[in-house]
Amino acid sequence: MSVARRAFIQMSVGATVGILFTPTVWTALDDVSIWTQNWPWIPKLTYGEAKSLPTVSKMCESGCAVKVRTVAGQAFGTEGNTDNLLSGGGICPLCANGVQVMNSPSRIKAPMLNGKEISWDDAKALVSEKLAAAGSNVAVISGDQTGTVNEVFSGLLVNQGSDAFYSMPSDLQKADKAWTDLMGGSGQIGYDMENADVVLLAGADALESWGPTVANKKAFASNENGTFIFAGPVQTRTASVTSKWVPVPAEGMAAFVLGITYYVLQAGKSVPAADFDQFKAMVMRGYTPAKVEAATGVKADVMAEIAKQLLSADSPVVVPGGSVAANTAAFALNLLLGGAMKVLPEFGKAVETAMTRSEMLKQDILKGVSADVLLVYEANPFYVLPEKIKAGFTVAFDSVNTETTAAADLVLPTPHSYERYDDLASPYGVAVATYSLGTPVSKPTLNVMNAADFVLGLTDLGFESFQEVLEAKVAAVGADIDELAEGSAYVLEESADVSGVTLAANVLGKAAIPVKGNGAVALAPYTLLNVGTANQATTPNAPSTISNNQLIGDNLVVMMASVTAKKLGVDVGSKVKLSGGNGECEALVQVFEGVLPGVVAAPLGMGHTVGDEFSKGKGDNVYKILTVSSEAAAGASTWAGSTVNVAKI
Amino acid sequence: MQSEFNRCDFHINFRVMGQKVMEERRSSKRCGGVLPFIIGFLATCVLGWVVIPGLFFEDVEQPVRFSHDIHVEGQGMDCESCHYFRDDGSYAGFPANEGCAECHAVDPVEAMEAIAEAGIDSSDYDAIVKAEIGAIEDNLASESDENKQAEREYVVKYLIQGKEVPWLNYQYQPDNVYFSHKAHEGLDIAELAEMKSELSSVVDGAVFDEPAEQNCNLCHLKDIAKNDTPPAFERNILSGYSKTTMKMWKCERCHALKGQPNACYTCHK
Repeated sequence: MSVARRAFIQMSVGATVGILFTPTVWTALDDVSIWTQNWPWIPKLTYGEAKSLPTVSKMCESGCAVKVRTVAGQAFGTEGNTDNLLSGGGICPLCANGVQVMNSPSRIKAPMLNGKEISWDDAKALVSEKLAAAGSNVAVISGDQTGTVNEVFSGLLVNQGSDAFYSMPSDLQKADKAWTDLMGGSGQIGYDMENADVVLLAGADALESWGPTVANKKAFASNENGTFIFAGPVQTRTASVTSKWVPVPAEGMAAFVLGITYYVLQAGKSVPAADFDQFKAMVMRGYTPAKVEAATGVKADVMAEIAKQLLSADSPVVVPGGSVAANTAAFALNLLLGGAMKVLPEFGKAVETAMTRSEMLKQDILKGVSADVLLVYEANPFYVLPEKIKAGFTVAFDSVNTETTAAADLVLPTPHSYERYDDLASPYGVAVATYSLGTPVSKPTLNVMNAADFVLGLTDLGFESFQEVLEAKVAAVGADIDELAEGSAYVLEESADVSGVTLAANVLGKAAIPVKGNGAVALAPYTLLNVGTANQATTPNAPSTISNNQLIGDNLVVMMASVTAKKLGVDVGSKVKLSGGNGECEALVQVFEGVLPGVVAAPLGMGHTVGDEFSKGKGDNVYKILTVSSEAAAGASTWAGSTVNVAKI
Repeated sequence: MQSEFNRCDFHINFRVMGQKVMEERRSSKRCGGVLPFIIGFLATCVLGWVVIPGLFFEDVEQPVRFSHDIHVEGQGMDCESCHYFRDDGSYAGFPANEGCAECHAVDPVEAMEAIAEAGIDSSDYDAIVKAEIGAIEDNLASESDENKQAEREYVVKYLIQGKEVPWLNYQYQPDNVYFSHKAHEGLDIAELAEMKSELSSVVDGAVFDEPAEQNCNLCHLKDIAKNDTPPAFERNILSGYSKTTMKMWKCERCHALKGQPNACYTCHK
């Protein structure tokens, strides 16, 4: 027995030594080390052909022409589209995160009726029943400013006997109100900032959030000899790169423009408008530099200097932002200067019975919406104007969860921009009429349906699918669908007819008078695309780019000049409560001398109560403290002139 | 008396014990002394060199029996028909359905409609095959039953379903490595033959005997382009990689011999 034991031990030692003379142990160790690198939870890459596919993205208000990068058919990134003049290779901060939003857990996965999943057939039957019962008491709110999907929705309204098509508050709407309603023009105003030699951005934060920001930045970058001047209550990022920042209160922008107009008229400029004499008399009498200085605080010599620059320029342009009055004043001044303001024709319609773009902009959502059935398309009115929306039955079409989908009775998921057919016609601000087409570049992974396809199933508009509608639209535009599908934009260099346009002298004289609220300080809300817009919350990669001037931790940050802070008894880091409109906001104070004294600058787009981890509970919702006031003379509503009371807490 | 007896007994016991120890030692010597050690040594050497390495791998068959021979010899296709450089220089390693469908002309929509009409679940492959759907059967290009079965399997399981074939890559590399076929396109087997001995641990020496026109054999299975039934994918049961996956030291050796950089970022992302 003991003999065997000894031999066994000797054999074992021999075996152990022997195995070390083979590759087994060493190979096994190597394999184990590799095994430790392959845990099942480590994501695997997908391999395949890498493509860069053109389409359009509708996450920002203007829409971006983009190229989506895919591998083996799966989207993984977005970049600008060098082939499309709207992009020129650039992309806005919202659309840059398109793929991340497409893959967000906040996506709506199936039709939901009061929180319970239903089939598309049931949804269609339910909406059909509601529409039949509502008759003409149906309204649509659209968050899309540029798409033919609006033709489909407006076609539905027309068939219902309703004209209640609402767009979310926008510069486009104010410009249209000024140009078509007050001045009697047609078409859409555009600005050739690339070729202008003097550009006065009168409240238009063009390099950050106003108009087609990407195209604006490209124009700014390529216009090396042009002089850009920014006027507004806050030294925005746009103001930080322009030649000059002129501090002008938002409610005084129209008067400021008319103050400049005074000098232009004094220089003998005229325009063959029927009411030119009346206009001239109104400006020369009511908007003298002294009066404007008294009303806005802008020195007369500053206005005189700007007028001189505009008059000496070959192709000057004034780009307005803010109230309808400010837009009207700017358009009148542009007509006098005869510079780089353009009037773009509207493309032909695909849906014969649909409203024109201008007709879709007529309803004033700030005055409130009331309907038996309300259809909301990719807009978030319950975040911006919750108290203004009254509906018996709300249907929300969107791709992600928002305050509006949370408030809606029926939620119908739309495909993300990259998963659907869509189009982008002349975003407000571009210098020429452009048309771009978006085609699906990624297969939908959720139970979604294009909203237009759903609507086409509810009413007879002569089309079976939205794809057919877009084909008809391309034909109406006169573009080549194959070229559009490759990502280029169709450009129409024509101008709309401006004969018969007036200067709205009878309205502007009263509308341009600054009107301010009763609060302790003026409120200057501003938009940064990385923070979000009225319809689109900030996106997954963007929060890391939001500065301490907008958000610290989960706290909203408002900025004010040191003199304002002193007056209010607050300092850097003070926690304050801002009261205005129908609500309150909590914020931390930041002192910034780039804010007009007596003004508090607050970023819009935060304080979401619904959404993903990147937007929900971050900051506070400044829309709550905006005051809707009536531009009585212009027949419009405005947030300009909002004031707030500030209390330290 | 008593103590004398005990002392004697102790001496007897001690002697017996000593005899046993001696017997053990003799017995041990009879077993060869170091012989068990040698036996153990040789046994594990044989196991370690011959038997155990094979146990690290399991054979996994390709999802579809793809015959290079039929496509190359039978249909006159060349390597670049499927394995080509894209315009951006990236390499299309495996063909996608889009390419295969150019010849395997079964209309997926028509086929799926026919399957639905037949009342068959589109994921029940056996039932689809058994039903001999005309929209599929009439468009199969193969002639022999064996080849037709392989083609049918591809069409039913992948082509009409819109799924790409999950081909097993014999040279599968981890995600953190980027291998550029374009950068290695110019390697010439005849030139490398001068380094045959230095590369003996990296490349199969037989590759240099009759240098092929293209250099695929340097890394890929030799003459894979001529086989009729693809060889099994030998999967390492620990690491999951292919037996023929080139390990980092092999890449480094070849790079060093060719005077190429061996910095981490040369291959790692």
